Amino acid sequence: MIEEGRALFLQIAESIENSIVDGSLAEESRAPSTNELAAFHRVNPATAAKGLTVLADKGLLTKRRGVGMFVTAGAREKLRAERRAVFAARFVEPLMVEAATIGLNAGEVIAMVKDRATAVGAQS
Amino acid sequence: MNPVVRARDLVKAYPAGNALDGVGFDLEANTIYGFLGRNGAGKSTTMSIITSQLFATSGTVRVFDEDPYENPRVLGRMCFVRENQKYPESMTTAHALRAASLFYPGWDHDFAERLVADFRLPLKTKVKKLSRGQLSAVGVIIGLCSRAEITFFDEPYLGLDAVARQIFYDRLIADYAEHPRTILMSSHLIDEIADLIERVLVIDGGRIIMDETVEEATSALTRATGPTAALDRLARSHRVLERRTMGSAGALVFHGIPSEAESETATHAGVRLESVGLQESIVHRTAAAATATGPELSPTSMEGALS
Amino acid sequence: MSQTARIVNVIRLQFVNRQPFLWIPLLVFGLAVALSLMIYAMIPETGPKYGGAAQAPMWTFLFVGVSAMTLTFPFSQSVGLARWEFYLGSLAAAAVGAAALASAFIVQGFIERATDGYGMDGYVAHLPWLWESGWWAAWLTFFVFTLMAFVLGFWSATVFKRWGMTVLVAVLGVLGVAIAGALLVVSRREAWGEVIAWFATAGCLQLTGWLALLTAVLAGLSYLTLRRAVP
Repeated sequence: MIEEGRALFLQIAESIENSIVDGSLAEESRAPSTNELAAFHRVNPATAAKGLTVLADKGLLTKRRGVGMFVTAGAREKLRAERRAVFAARFVEPLMVEAATIGLNAGEVIAMVKDRATAVGAQS
Repeated sequence: MNPVVRARDLVKAYPAGNALDGVGFDLEANTIYGFLGRNGAGKSTTMSIITSQLFATSGTVRVFDEDPYENPRVLGRMCFVRENQKYPESMTTAHALRAASLFYPGWDHDFAERLVADFRLPLKTKVKKLSRGQLSAVGVIIGLCSRAEITFFDEPYLGLDAVARQIFYDRLIADYAEHPRTILMSSHLIDEIADLIERVLVIDGGRIIMDETVEEATSALTRATGPTAALDRLARSHRVLERRTMGSAGALVFHGIPSEAESETATHAGVRLESVGLQESIVHRTAAAATATGPELSPTSMEGALS
Repeated sequence: MSQTARIVNVIRLQFVNRQPFLWIPLLVFGLAVALSLMIYAMIPETGPKYGGAAQAPMWTFLFVGVSAMTLTFPFSQSVGLARWEFYLGSLAAAAVGAAALASAFIVQGFIERATDGYGMDGYVAHLPWLWESGWWAAWLTFFVFTLMAFVLGFWSATVFKRWGMTVLVAVLGVLGVAIAGALLVVSRREAWGEVIAWFATAGCLQLTGWLALLTAVLAGLSYLTLRRAVP
């Protein structure tokens, strides 16, 4: 529940998840190693390893003996589904709380969403 | 796993009082420890005793299950460059590095060369003519390149600017990843090293008051900010360390993590919950330990704590 | 790394910078010779001229001993050396330095003999009393004396490190008083003639033997003091 200052290994796991979701880390390709992650994020290798373990436990990464960790086939779709499931709670809810605080009703918010959607080029 | 260092009941008595007053802890193999505490808390004293440079008044130290005193089998696997390390008469930087390399079979000459370039160290300058930062850099290079199984860094950043400190942290992590070993690093710059270390040892008043993983340390305390009424509810069910109010809102620091239900109620009431960073967590708990041990430490003496 | 290799590396450590153990003593020796020659050249009288300037480089080892303790010892502790390893290696390094210096002294002696004292009958190294049992006896005397200077410097610095100035002054004071007392006794008994006769008959070799014994005792004391010394 605590959002800020979340455990470092979760942040690292999430950064890899993001790469998988946005496609920059393709399925079946090699995931960054513990040491690469440690050097990149400037964290203790144990923390980086823990981040990778989280992803392996979720089945997003698969260990190949002596070669390293690879992105599991279907990982991207799995993550997208997972994120869709929490989208309302994670984004819409705080949006509506803030909207209520500043006196915007649902209709006005929807109008703004549609307006912005065309701006960022998302499909409506 | 079998610890590489076991310190038990270490007491170091001086006429002015005890520098160490029953210090005990284990160091596990292949772990980076942050050794934290205020000035004069006993960090350097402890490291000196483990390496047999200094003698404890009582208590025991075992390194690799042996007594380190006059024992090359054990001493030769450690490296401890002091914060105010002395170097032999009229030695230059190059001399000092060559001298240190003699005693470590795993010494990495190429790495040393790269670090000299990174830190822009003048090789032909005499060590006693180096600036504070350059002197620290020499110690850092010896510590890193020795690849000693147990390496001690005693406030290695003194006089180093932000760029040089980042270089040190980066090289430390990269080299440690390739060559895991036990590292005990004393530091006042807690937030700078918080991500590098795996465990924290906090010493205060000659005693170890925290010996836990960084995760445990940072999840031990929670800060809540929001309306006073909601904070009151949280305060009733948790041990409060600090409370500040401003108008109808305030901030609360308390022990533990609120339950799922608790945080949901609190969030709905407009309370923001966050875990407390390592530095702040240690400052709070050091202050708490000081008040718990007795009145000899006044609140004002806590000023500049760990800074 | 084998135990022998570690001790040998302590010797190498002491010679990483060759200045204190080698070049400075040799430089002092060179200066002492040069200075003596200038003085001999100014003395008008004929007949052999002898001088004691060659002992100057020996005394540099006093300072070498002090700095080995005050500076090199703390460094040795940072790189994981046991006190005894550092001590043995440093003693060996001092022996190497002393041997080099003694050899330079002997070479100088041969030069003096070959050139009849630089053509002016002046001697700094080729002193009859030292050389009477042969060049090797002169070498040995010079060597032992230099090593003793090192041990004395090292031990003094160790005493100072462990117990401070007061104790060091007290120890050196007691030594001084003992020597002064001995001299006083000799004077009181008007025994100077006998003493000089003893030195003359004993020769430098026997004296060197006594010096070596004294050095060994000092070296032992030095180690015992170092065992609990803190850098």
